[in-house]
Amino acid sequence: MLITLFVSGIVLGCIYGIVALGYSLIYKASGLMSFAQGDLMTVGAYLGITFYSYMKLPFFISIILIGVIMFFLGMGIERGVIRRLRRKGVEPIYVVLATIAISFIIQNGCQKVWGPVMLNFPSIFKTSTIQLFGRNFQTESIFTVIASFTIMAILQFFMKKTKAGTAMRASAMDPIAAKACGINVNITTGLTWGCAGCTAALAGVLMGPLYGVFSTLGSQIGTKGFAAAVIGGYGNFVGSIVGGLILGLLETLTSGYISSNYRDIISYTVLILFLFIRPWGLFNERTIKN
Amino acid sequence: MLDINNLTITFGGLTAVNDVSMHLDEGRIYGLIGPNGAGKTTFFNLVSGVYIPTSGNISFCGSSLNGKKPYQINKAGISRTYQVINLFKKMTVLENILVGMHTQMKSDFAASLFHLRKERREEEEAVEKAHQWLQFVGIDQRANDMAGSLPYGEQRLLEIVRALSSKPRLILLDEPAAGMNSAEKETLNGFIRKIMSELHVTPLVIEHDMKLIMDICDYIFVLSFGKKIAEGTPQQVQADPEVIAAYLGGE
Amino acid sequence: MSAFIGNRNRLGIMIFIIVGLVLPLVFSAMPYAVLVCCYILIYLIAVSGFDVLVGFSGQISMGHAAYYCIGAYGSAMLHKYTGIPVFFTMLIAAVTATLVGTLIAWPTTKLVAHFMSLATIAFGNIVFQLVNTSPGRITGDANGLHTTYLSVFGYELNTYTRFYYFALIMVLLFMLIKYNLLHSRVGRAMLAIRENDHAANGMGVNVRFYKVAAFAVSAFFAAYAGAMFAHLVRYISPDSFKQTVSVMFLTMLLFGGTASMSGPIIGVTIVSLLNEALRPASSYKMLVYGVLLLFVILIFPGGILGVMRSMKEKIIQKRK
Repeated sequence: MLITLFVSGIVLGCIYGIVALGYSLIYKASGLMSFAQGDLMTVGAYLGITFYSYMKLPFFISIILIGVIMFFLGMGIERGVIRRLRRKGVEPIYVVLATIAISFIIQNGCQKVWGPVMLNFPSIFKTSTIQLFGRNFQTESIFTVIASFTIMAILQFFMKKTKAGTAMRASAMDPIAAKACGINVNITTGLTWGCAGCTAALAGVLMGPLYGVFSTLGSQIGTKGFAAAVIGGYGNFVGSIVGGLILGLLETLTSGYISSNYRDIISYTVLILFLFIRPWGLFNERTIKN
Repeated sequence: MLDINNLTITFGGLTAVNDVSMHLDEGRIYGLIGPNGAGKTTFFNLVSGVYIPTSGNISFCGSSLNGKKPYQINKAGISRTYQVINLFKKMTVLENILVGMHTQMKSDFAASLFHLRKERREEEEAVEKAHQWLQFVGIDQRANDMAGSLPYGEQRLLEIVRALSSKPRLILLDEPAAGMNSAEKETLNGFIRKIMSELHVTPLVIEHDMKLIMDICDYIFVLSFGKKIAEGTPQQVQADPEVIAAYLGGE
Repeated sequence: MSAFIGNRNRLGIMIFIIVGLVLPLVFSAMPYAVLVCCYILIYLIAVSGFDVLVGFSGQISMGHAAYYCIGAYGSAMLHKYTGIPVFFTMLIAAVTATLVGTLIAWPTTKLVAHFMSLATIAFGNIVFQLVNTSPGRITGDANGLHTTYLSVFGYELNTYTRFYYFALIMVLLFMLIKYNLLHSRVGRAMLAIRENDHAANGMGVNVRFYKVAAFAVSAFFAAYAGAMFAHLVRYISPDSFKQTVSVMFLTMLLFGGTASMSGPIIGVTIVSLLNEALRPASSYKMLVYGVLLLFVILIFPGGILGVMRSMKEKIIQKRK
């Protein structure tokens, strides 16, 4: 039983991790926190069902379509809402609240478009289970683990080693200086939010076959993903995955050995403890507050 | 009154204030000058509790200020103004003063929640006193305007008198003349003298306007790259070769 | 932000009291309408307290329903298991919530805005989970809890109209306390903290203390309102205290206007009426909240009150 729990924990942790990557991406490139990430994931999952299950498009095509749509959705949110607010110079709390409002709109919007009933996401792979350590696991779950580590590696490489990534980081740290260096801050910020939209979409599509698709999918997982980002170190990609794994394992082991009722309480308590004691997370260095 | 010994603060690899020692007595107007980036505002931040020193100590009227929070230092008798205007812009001019008088008032939570008679009386007296403060600096007619709507020069004056309303013994003025024209600077000159002579509050002034500093100050400290390179009367400082080098070299 | 009581405000208060007294008589044939009015009064207390946290001291709590919940369950459970009269259990529950709030506030106030949101959401969720799956099922878990009426000096408030007048008195009491706070040294300190907490610190304001105090006050208001709610509807279940309630409080406050007496009145009334109007299409509720919130943030962050104030400014400018 420990093995099953352990692997389930890893899988759950990787999902939290992918969501956390999205949060970290936005933070690294915008200096902001978006509460809407989780719900973008829901949209990704629903779109997945629409393209793959209803319209019977091949999986690969579906993914690309979803990626593109979500990319523009992410950019749209940044341009329509976030940029406006920043230009107005409102207190940062209002930006947070705006993303919460957006998350509500998306959640409810999904419910209206696709109905309140949980939908079934068909299997992506021909082989439905894989054997590992003598036990059977859904193929999608193993794929999720691989995917999350891959995305983490890609993002890490992109941010640190490529010109575009450096441009994004510069825009977040000091938009004025970045502009002086010739970086088009508006475009890079928009691009980052677009990418974050994509990661959210991917997380949604991966989660669909594992959990089914329903409108509150995103907000539940979203908050946990946020917690994972904080625990691992906000803005840190490796931290996001590690934080997710910690949370995932903690939850599944608690469910298995104590009771599934206390899952959420444990997760949120750990989050609060980190916020109070070590808000910069496991992998970040302590920043001097002004 | 104020004793600073070997005060140092290091941020990461940068030592912004390096082994600075000073002694200030009551009753004189002090100046703090130095080329840009010398660490003057950082020094103010250390004394007023915004930063915690890496080493060294600050002693005021016999008690140590090390590690104290800004509000505690205000209570101990040191008040300050800021390089960038830090008024409560969306509150009225009068309310800004009333906040400055926060430590002078005694009403606690219960008295405030239930509007007890002693609280009411204290509020009335405070409002009167606040008007007096505004009259002292000539902006009482603006009492009910939003602080953010005042012209720049008056905002600066308001910030100074807000700091004064905490009844400090020492007031740190960070570039009070910045952005002022010569008429306003004349007013400021007289005003700072009044702070000393009428209110018996000792000013320590950071300024770039040499004419103003040399005219007003009894004693001047000079910082450069975080270190104190000279101190003395205006004549002594003006003649000091290191000071001259710092300013000319730093152009 | 300054609102010294003048003749215009005295008139406003008079109108409020008269309308308040007359309302149940107008609706005497529709007990459901009186119930809605009771809800409005209860929410008014909760949101007015919430204003002290958000509008006065400039902090955020995305899980404030937690205190509303502690008040409701606290009073109901205390009465159920110890028999202490409801009048007192309500107060005890509110005080308990205040203590909890103070405890949580102490480390929370250090956090920046987005971390504070996260921490308060987490706290709200924890309280919800504890109530939903309580040890030993003492809260009745998902089945909820039944409780009795409130009795004041032996007079049982067993109709909506009776409860309404009690609630009206409590609203006036709580509003009075809030008003006193707003115009006192303590309130000013909080407003200064919201404006510029560095400068406030430099002026001798113990920022940490007042931030925690704001939390405590808002927790008390919310909890007492929750207790009132429990003994009005006499059946509470975890469903009434989900995250949506926290967002509703926030929407009511921001929509009406912060740091004011009348802001919450406007916000609570309009959103409550909206709630009722959306009853047939209750699945759209969240959508409407979201849109309202976004609208307010993007277009008029000062809420309705902010709009009214700037219109007044323009009129005054024109006259000059």
